[in-house]
Amino acid sequence: MSEAQSAQCAADEERQGEQGVYRGTKEVKTIVKLKGVSKVYWRGKEKVEVLHDLDLAVPEGAFEALMGPSGSGKTTLLNLIAGLDVPSSGSVRVADAQLETMGEAGRTKWRAENIGFVFQTYNLLPVLTAQQNVELPLLLANLSSSERKRRAQTALKIVGLEDRVRHRPGELSGGQQQRVTIARAIVNDPKIIVADEPTGDLDRHNADEILNLLDKLNREFEKTILMVTHDPAAAERASHRRHLDKGKLQ
Amino acid sequence: MMLGSLAAKNVLGRNRVRTLLTIAAVAVTIFVFILLRTFITAWTAGAEHAAQDRIATRHKVSFVIALPKSYADKIQMNKDSLGVTDVTWCNWFGGKHPQRESDFFATIAVDPQSFLRVYDEIQLSPEERESWVQNRRGAVIGDALAKKFDWKVGDSITLEGTIYPGNWEFEISGIYTAARRSVDRSTLWFHWNYINESVGQRAKDQIGWLVSRVEDASRTAEVSKNIDAMFEDRGEQTTSMSERALQTSFLGMVSAILTTINVISVVILAIMMLILGNTIAMAVRERTNEYGMMRAIGFAPRHIATMVVGEALTIGLLGGLLALVLAYPMIEQGMGRFLEETMGGFFPYFRISGSTVIAALVLATALGALAAAIPAIRAARLNVVDALRRVG
Repeated sequence: MSEAQSAQCAADEERQGEQGVYRGTKEVKTIVKLKGVSKVYWRGKEKVEVLHDLDLAVPEGAFEALMGPSGSGKTTLLNLIAGLDVPSSGSVRVADAQLETMGEAGRTKWRAENIGFVFQTYNLLPVLTAQQNVELPLLLANLSSSERKRRAQTALKIVGLEDRVRHRPGELSGGQQQRVTIARAIVNDPKIIVADEPTGDLDRHNADEILNLLDKLNREFEKTILMVTHDPAAAERASHRRHLDKGKLQ
Repeated sequence: MMLGSLAAKNVLGRNRVRTLLTIAAVAVTIFVFILLRTFITAWTAGAEHAAQDRIATRHKVSFVIALPKSYADKIQMNKDSLGVTDVTWCNWFGGKHPQRESDFFATIAVDPQSFLRVYDEIQLSPEERESWVQNRRGAVIGDALAKKFDWKVGDSITLEGTIYPGNWEFEISGIYTAARRSVDRSTLWFHWNYINESVGQRAKDQIGWLVSRVEDASRTAEVSKNIDAMFEDRGEQTTSMSERALQTSFLGMVSAILTTINVISVVILAIMMLILGNTIAMAVRERTNEYGMMRAIGFAPRHIATMVVGEALTIGLLGGLLALVLAYPMIEQGMGRFLEETMGGFFPYFRISGSTVIAALVLATALGALAAAIPAIRAARLNVVDALRRVG
């Protein structure tokens, strides 16, 4: 990211309002808004405060990288935004849903409709083909088998794996497996993609390909992408970077 | 692809050795269950399939004390007032094959004509019937017995008498089959006259028991009472009961064995549940991360539970089917034939019943699902964040 772009992002943040942020002259909706969020875990009798009174606003269509040392609370923050967890205090509003007030069942349904997940270890089912793995989220939608198949093939085409639809994960390289994961993440057209160390298990070449793909999804398909990474080179590809340390955004 | 097919893929697509061993373990336990159930049904077949319109009359004190043959004549004379349509008599002979003394089979002396009327489930050709009735030394044997000793129609055989000592010669007049499962197909029936004419004066005109056929099967209790009343003031008093009640009273003597077999069947199924439950629990533990991913992308706890139970159902069903595939040739063709030939008195019809097949399949799948209940609940209750954090 150039210095000019960084300056623009900083200016955007300053102009954040309750309803949205401004990018240039265009009003952009805030898709993620966290206010006074704290997350506390108990390790036996010991209280561990992972996130402390955290505020965050992410505009729709952003590609943000979340960095920080191990144990800084990056994944916890991502889990709260993705609706996998609820804060101990504070409010989490994502894609027009107030997550801390929703029950487990409500958040599960909300996740299926709004969030695409990309994991470091891919988490593909080894007994299914690439296409069947991508179809997995669609099993929850009321779609015909042929429609599911068509959408899965389209998603695999977007990630450049149209010639690997019948391959099982064990027959694919790490980079290809991560691309299948990305296809699975976008197949139900979610608003937000959360990626937790998506390049963590990949070599530089494959990591760059995955980052190119995420960039493409952000630019061409206007997906909001939140990426946790340790890798400065990966973070460099995001349009905005945030640093988390000891549960606080720097 | 649906959750059901995903469950099946999980069963068949991963850790094949463990899956095959588990299916084999389920198959073995279900096979033993089928075998034990078949023992019980075969043992109780006599009572279950016994004729309801036949009454057996024996000495009041014991089955082994003889009755005068004149009792049969008396019933025959009073058959209308008693509600009896026909009567015959039998006498235990206790013959043995001289060369194969340990091979037990029943040898019973009867009056062929009345016997074939009362026991109309004995199937013989008209020629065989005629041949038997006409030949004083004629005997008819069950097809199982014929196969066992390789006896054929026209063969002359010699049996060694135990109750009636000496060597007794018979000619095989016919080989019967049975239209009713309660009939022992390894019995030798022969002329009562043959022994009656050969014994001394004191043992003459003695019979073991009487069998009467009644007009109305629903009146067997009343007719039994009337028959016993007829001989109440005689030296040898009688006890009459329906053939079914008689068979049931025999079963009562072995009820402890039957109960034990039933208990073993239940224990066997419990072992199957534990094996299956352990396998499913291991699989769930190994796939925690995958379940976490599925929960993250929107699968509800019930979906995860359904999948886990589906896997157990698949293993249970495959194990049950494999058990049946093994059981049919081994029990029906091998063990069943052997028992019918050698122990036809106890197991006249040793075959796998339809209800046993259904019970085996239903229990294999239902108990499989039950075995998966705890792992399924645990998988469904997984905390998504913790599950995603777990490796392997």
